[in-house]
Amino acid sequence: MFEIGISGEDTVLLEGRLDAAQAVKAQEFLDQVGVQCVLDLAKLEYISSAGLGVLLRTHKRLMCSGSGIKLINVNHHIHDIFRYSGFDKLFEIVPAGD
Amino acid sequence: MEQRFKRSFDELKNIVTMTEDFFHEEKLPPGLRNVVDLATEELFVNMVTYNTESNEDILIQMTPHEHGVEVSLTDYDVERFDPTGAGPIDVNAPLEERTPGGLGLYLVLKMVDSIHYEYRNRQSKITFIVDRKQFDV
Repeated sequence: MFEIGISGEDTVLLEGRLDAAQAVKAQEFLDQVGVQCVLDLAKLEYISSAGLGVLLRTHKRLMCSGSGIKLINVNHHIHDIFRYSGFDKLFEIVPAGD
Repeated sequence: MEQRFKRSFDELKNIVTMTEDFFHEEKLPPGLRNVVDLATEELFVNMVTYNTESNEDILIQMTPHEHGVEVSLTDYDVERFDPTGAGPIDVNAPLEERTPGGLGLYLVLKMVDSIHYEYRNRQSKITFIVDRKQFDV
């Protein structure tokens, strides 16, 4: 199960498992996002490299207009994936509980 | 436990169900799940994406290991491709130089405790072990 939707004025909520089967759905949604974007990952349980690719493509697109993506409420496991991938150096990340 | 899966990303949800059932049956610590799920998905997706000449289902086998879990994926009627020899990626590269390609196998090699590749009679089999000790469970 994977769901993506708007949760606030500039916040996108991701929920469930962002795997290779769901990457197209996530990319199509995030392609519609404008200049500034906060992704709330509080309910995201799992992400694979296909999901990382979605985040990277969206971040690069938005950085061209000077903003990019901020990732908030990132759980321990997903933070490990970001760290191993070097994404912790590319994105502004706020871990869960901060 | 073993099961065959069609060569489709739509099978990922069924692979997750298999893994859930296996962990429940073997009473394995849930702390191992995310790494097992990640490595299994990345290797399965790699087979589906790059071994396009085969129409055979992919076999996944899961067995308890002394210190954790052993998972094998076998692909039939394919050319040799050893994912353990995947080249390194520069995770310290700046954003403008980063591309999504290669991250999946890189993460597998980084996160599993051991990985082994066999190729025989056009069968490609990759086996990895995730050790419960690293997760402090």
